[in-house]
Amino acid sequence: MKKIVEVEKEGQQMLEATMREISELRKDVPHKITSMRQEILRRAAGQRELALAEAERAGTQEAERIALEAKRHVESLSQISTDKRKQAVERTIALLLS
Amino acid sequence: MAAGLDKLVEDIMKESRAKAEEIRREGLTQIEDSISKAKAEAIREADEIARNTKTESDAVVNRRVSQEKQKTRLAYLTEKNKVLDNIMKEVETKLVELCRDDSRYRPFLVKSIARGIEAIPSEGVKIALSQRDIRRYRGSKLLEDALATIASTKTAVLDDEPIETIGGAVATSQDDKVRVDCTLEAKLELTKTQRLAEISRILFAS
Repeated sequence: MKKIVEVEKEGQQMLEATMREISELRKDVPHKITSMRQEILRRAAGQRELALAEAERAGTQEAERIALEAKRHVESLSQISTDKRKQAVERTIALLLS
Repeated sequence: MAAGLDKLVEDIMKESRAKAEEIRREGLTQIEDSISKAKAEAIREADEIARNTKTESDAVVNRRVSQEKQKTRLAYLTEKNKVLDNIMKEVETKLVELCRDDSRYRPFLVKSIARGIEAIPSEGVKIALSQRDIRRYRGSKLLEDALATIASTKTAVLDDEPIETIGGAVATSQDDKVRVDCTLEAKLELTKTQRLAEISRILFAS
């Protein structure tokens, strides 16, 4: 009978130890979740920064292309032929005198 | 008797171990579930950040491109206006030269005066010219030629008061109530839109 009581006590201790073990693990869960969440969001924020920097770079590149093309257009204005200028002047005078 | 007791002890221990194992399994499952749920939530937030990042990135590119387009468009228009201004300076120089050339200027002036006379609804019309034209055309049958051009029976007289103009005339009714500006300056203003469109077509059309 004594042996049975001892064994039951031992069994009870085993259960209590398991519950303590799980309880300890539970205590650590919020910290684990916080770390994991921070890590995931930190990675997302990092990727966001990279993407924005890349967008800035792409925008600047496209802006430079536009500026270059516009420069060519502006330069073409100073290269209008004398014939065309003369034609424009004559046409304007003709309009005024008509 | 002893064997029965041993069996009972073993059963009690077995049962305790099984219970402990079940408690552990349930506990671990609950912990894993909590972590999984939190992870899924964090991943959803990260995905939302990624989606917003795409929109933000597009906006960054669009803003940069739009700024540059606006800047270059302004630069192009400024340069284009310079070209047009230069053409207009050339036109004004040519007009001054043309006004000195009687063979080309007189027909224009006659036509301008005729238009002015036609537009004035009264019988008597005063014609004002520049000082230079008054000196040049007084007594030269300029007004008669203008009236003849439109076969008008109206009376036109030369105003003694000169006007400031490159060329052309201003017609006024005798009572000064109606005034018709037929100077080159007025014509320049009147034809501005058409003139700029025409010059642009000649100069800038590709």
